[in-house]
Amino acid sequence: VDRERLDSPAPAIMPRAAPPRHHWVVRLTHWVNVVAFSLMVASGLRIFNAYPAFHRRGEGFCCWPLEGTPAPRWLTFGGWLAGARHWHFAMMWVLVATGLVYVGFLWLHGEWRDLVPRRGDLRDAWQMVRYYAFARRDHPRQGKHNALQKGAYFVMPFVGAEIVLSGLAIWKPVTLGWLTALLGGYVWARWWHFAGMLTLVLLAVGHVFMVLSTDPYSLRSMLGGGYDASLSPEARNARPFHHLLPRWRARAAEDRP
Amino acid sequence: VSAPTLARALRLVDAAVARLETREAPALDRRRFLRAGGGALATALLAACNAQGPAGAQAVLRFAERRNERVERWLLRHTRMGAPLDRVPGGARDAGMSFPSYHIARVVPRWDAAARGPWALEIAGLVDRPQRLALDALVRLPQTQQRVNHYCVEGWNAVATFWGVRVRELARLAGARPEARYVDFQSFDDGYHESWDLESALHPQTIVAYAKDGRFLSPAYGAPARLHSPVKLGYKSTKYLTRVVFMAERNGGYWSDRGYEWFGGT
Repeated sequence: VDRERLDSPAPAIMPRAAPPRHHWVVRLTHWVNVVAFSLMVASGLRIFNAYPAFHRRGEGFCCWPLEGTPAPRWLTFGGWLAGARHWHFAMMWVLVATGLVYVGFLWLHGEWRDLVPRRGDLRDAWQMVRYYAFARRDHPRQGKHNALQKGAYFVMPFVGAEIVLSGLAIWKPVTLGWLTALLGGYVWARWWHFAGMLTLVLLAVGHVFMVLSTDPYSLRSMLGGGYDASLSPEARNARPFHHLLPRWRARAAEDRP
Repeated sequence: VSAPTLARALRLVDAAVARLETREAPALDRRRFLRAGGGALATALLAACNAQGPAGAQAVLRFAERRNERVERWLLRHTRMGAPLDRVPGGARDAGMSFPSYHIARVVPRWDAAARGPWALEIAGLVDRPQRLALDALVRLPQTQQRVNHYCVEGWNAVATFWGVRVRELARLAGARPEARYVDFQSFDDGYHESWDLESALHPQTIVAYAKDGRFLSPAYGAPARLHSPVKLGYKSTKYLTRVVFMAERNGGYWSDRGYEWFGGT
């Protein structure tokens, strides 16, 4: 035994600031995207309200149950059709630019590894569903994101790309006629654009709900970057609004071995 | 939403956060953050609902419109191999009487031959041989028949078959000069007009139409002649046409002057 080494004081552990949970590029594009996407949805709904239907004149349409029903005015932005179009066609560049920066960064910086689906993700996602449905007591183990979250974040850029392509097909149905034809014509391109928007809105609403109800600490990590892993939903065994649930629920979770 | 409601909502958020804090690590000043952030967000949302946005943004929007126009013209030029053509998807039905009709005058504009003399289409401006074409002279010119989409700025489209003369043909007939870069299409519908870039006007599917779905145009659809093209949004296609003027500069238009995009291309 090397006595001298044993006696020497242990090397000091320098307190190091934890690396931010999200790179600043991700944080920046996230918030720019919040603004741009909200404006795109609201101005898009104002444009939609000028003809809140999909059918070609003189035909019917199979696949939208609310044909002819406009979106509520308070959800719209732009004031009138021309105003909404100007906002839509200006903000689209911001949205596309942020999207490209975000996806490009994920690719170059390796962050895509946190999002790309792996074998077992479906099983893990099912376990998350069981956990949220109180069919399972302990939060499943997870990496940076749980399997449901990961799936949602992975799908979002693809839905975004679909929205951009169908949007181009509506904007330029003649000069980009090949793209419009690929989507099944002008009527279907509008439908794809709308369906993609609905999908992204649902994902975003679910995302915001889960952040506020289950992992409010992640809000801080998306702002300043700091995140205390001991407060993660996995560590706290958190379900939506679990701090508001009847006490026996929470206590049962705290008492687990 | 009234101020007291908002205050009550914020108090509720506060109470929820307080509960969160007492049960978990109170390291964060979430209460203040949520109050300030939530308040700002709610105010912004309330202010934004159905509004046109801040006045300062209008300059940015106009800038974006000019940039977009350059992209649109570039696209039109670079997919020009034999020109990008509008195609009607197989199975699409003709709109027929469901084709919306509209005009800006209070009543359907009708050419009053007794007061104004016989109708004729005037081709003027930067041309070597100005023309006045009566309807029968127009019909005798090389005829184009096309079944195309009509794209409205509102978002609908309609399929119809139009008969007419290509604007390209009219430009050749009148001898449009090289310095003509724009074309203004004027009407007797209360001064309605829209000016076009030359490229779109000379597109092979841009025609001065006098018949639709096998009949001469009715007054509701722009009789005696109207402009029609799938390469522009409907409002650019002047109905109740009287004059085609070749110009060196653009001349705005009825809806373009009221805030819609001047280019309005598809």
